[in-house]
Amino acid sequence: MGIGVKKVRRPEEGTSYVRAALKGMALTFRHLVNTETVTHQYPDEKPSIAPRWRGTHRMEVHADGRPKCVACGLCPTICPANCIRLVPGEDDQGNRYPIVYEIDEYRCIFCGMCQEVCPVEAIHVGQDYEAAEFTRERFVYDLDRLMAQDHPVTALWDPSDPLSE
Amino acid sequence: MANRSDASDQITCTIDGQEVTVPRGTTILDAAEQMGIGIVHYCYHPALSAPAMCRMCLVHMEGAPKLVPACVSPVADGAVIQTDAPLAEEARTGVLEFYLVNHPLDCPVCDAAGECKLQDYVYQEGRKHGRSVEPKRVLGQDDFGADVLYDGDRCIMCTRCVRYMREIAEDDRLCVVQRGNRSVIDTFFGEGLDGSPFASNIIDICPVGALLSKDFLHKARAWDLDRTPSICPNCSQGCNITLDTRDNLVQRLKPRHNPEVNSYWMCDYGRYRYEWINRGTAPYPYGMPAPAGLEADEGDGSALPPAALPDRATISELRLESPMMRRDGVPVPVGWQEAILGLLERLRAVSGGIQVIGSPHHGNEDNGLLKRVQEVVGGDDAVYRAARAAAEVVLPGFQKLARRRDLAANTRGLDALGFRRVGDDSAAGGLAPPASALIVLGDPLADLPAKAMADAELVVYMGAVISPTLEKADFLLPLTSFAEQEGTFTNFEGRVQRFWPALNPPPMARPAWQVLGVILAGLQDGVAPASAGDAFLRLAELYDPFSGLSYPVLGTLGSMLNEPVRLRAGEEG
Repeated sequence: MGIGVKKVRRPEEGTSYVRAALKGMALTFRHLVNTETVTHQYPDEKPSIAPRWRGTHRMEVHADGRPKCVACGLCPTICPANCIRLVPGEDDQGNRYPIVYEIDEYRCIFCGMCQEVCPVEAIHVGQDYEAAEFTRERFVYDLDRLMAQDHPVTALWDPSDPLSE
Repeated sequence: MANRSDASDQITCTIDGQEVTVPRGTTILDAAEQMGIGIVHYCYHPALSAPAMCRMCLVHMEGAPKLVPACVSPVADGAVIQTDAPLAEEARTGVLEFYLVNHPLDCPVCDAAGECKLQDYVYQEGRKHGRSVEPKRVLGQDDFGADVLYDGDRCIMCTRCVRYMREIAEDDRLCVVQRGNRSVIDTFFGEGLDGSPFASNIIDICPVGALLSKDFLHKARAWDLDRTPSICPNCSQGCNITLDTRDNLVQRLKPRHNPEVNSYWMCDYGRYRYEWINRGTAPYPYGMPAPAGLEADEGDGSALPPAALPDRATISELRLESPMMRRDGVPVPVGWQEAILGLLERLRAVSGGIQVIGSPHHGNEDNGLLKRVQEVVGGDDAVYRAARAAAEVVLPGFQKLARRRDLAANTRGLDALGFRRVGDDSAAGGLAPPASALIVLGDPLADLPAKAMADAELVVYMGAVISPTLEKADFLLPLTSFAEQEGTFTNFEGRVQRFWPALNPPPMARPAWQVLGVILAGLQDGVAPASAGDAFLRLAELYDPFSGLSYPVLGTLGSMLNEPVRLRAGEEG
């Protein structure tokens, strides 16, 4: 026995494990029957996200399958992350269209300025967050992939309340 | 311009509260320009007549019953003019609104967006919202031939193009047909601009996107281009141009104002021969049959990009990327230091002097230092080859400007430095297989058989691209092209003009003046020039025609060979 060690005598009720165990089990049983859940069953149930939530891009398409983009070059100009690559050209009807349109979602900061600047409402940020890939190259979305995306697009403002009042 | 009266006949007027003294007869627009007050305009162009029909330059003059057009009204003595009077501003806003009644709002797909005067002025002074509810007139596009595409919807009827063709090209091929809001610019009965050698200038002077270059169509946005002042390398006229580049490629050439050389214009021949700049080669294949375009355009000078050049993929493989030195009969890539030291050793051992072949596609500095190396080592055979067209193509309305016969920028400079011209008009032949030592600048010697170099004591090739003939060379040194370095060209009349670097060279390529300067320093135990300006100063010391010249003297407009230093302060204030 060391010098100066003080032995405290506590009452039996305070040191018994039985009481604590019962207390914990009571909590468990209470949650078992409680209807108020906070756990998301994620892959099976998707959480709802805000209408202004900005995720991976989507290119709008005309009825005949052409991209709406007119290759004006405003989105690569405004893009603060410099993640859009565009090569404009002329299609067989004399319209300006993007020969190459690529967005590097890995570099993208999802500011939504490309959607805001687009004069023909072609490029949109979307309500999509499942953007995991196995390689970095796969993060560069080409035009076909952007056109094939089918998730809802982001509403950067409420049409009925454009000034957010 | 309006500046015809003698200098003593000065009058004073007040523009926007500032007094200015100008010669009698000066227009309000010119007088305001002198004070740094820009008066907006579409139809007025300093090189053309002024019809005062765009109604944009209306200004308020005290005492005048209504607004006066600044581009045609001469200032009167004591006149008080206000360009920003409420009445004038209201008039401009109104005129702009009328322009936008029919002008399509297709700026996103218009090539002129970013360099469009209508866009600029509407942004400055236009109404926020249009009030026109009628559908816009639709005319569609019209192919004017040559390189010009006309978009009638975008046209604002300033008639600059019509007046240019009439007054400067003196080849009246355009006219306004119909009247009022149905008027369009048109050509005569299907006869387009084909064959008019200076027609593409109308694309530059079009204030909006109505006249488009087919070559540049949809290629790049105006705000993405980097514009570098340069000199047109395609003939010895030496037109001042800008190299408009993007992604390290020249996208188009545009003329730059120089009243002594090319005014505001340049020829189509030069304008569309820029692909070779991207490849680092010469505008024509040296020592090969003349490209098809070279003969075809003697009549009209309008032939579009040369067809006979190899395509980009094959020629970019020919670009010399690293210094090479022959060891045991095989060229081996080496570093610059090793190459220069090895070369110096060989040059010191040269017995019978050296022959040098200069390049009219390289600047004065490059060729001058090459000549100097020859003078130091010994030898006197300095030659060059350049292609030559059959005839000049003169711009009738500005006769100083012509597509000259020499299809290389610096032939005059080489002559001044003591190089002798050899070979025929397609830059071929004229060279015997070298017997002694040889230094070649730029010329890939493609017409010499590969074994021609066998007897030479030493063969040094400096250039951007390589040809099979040169596989036997002892040294291959990668150079930058003129677009990748600073330097000067001497044009046909002896005007030395500067150009600036526009493209990034391959990492190991160096300007010729730098390489030759280091070699010279090694041969003479001197100091190598630190910059192109430094190299040019050496030239001025060594060669009489260049004496008195330096980069500050040349300025942006250039200076004639062997002129005393001129005090520009006296001329330009």
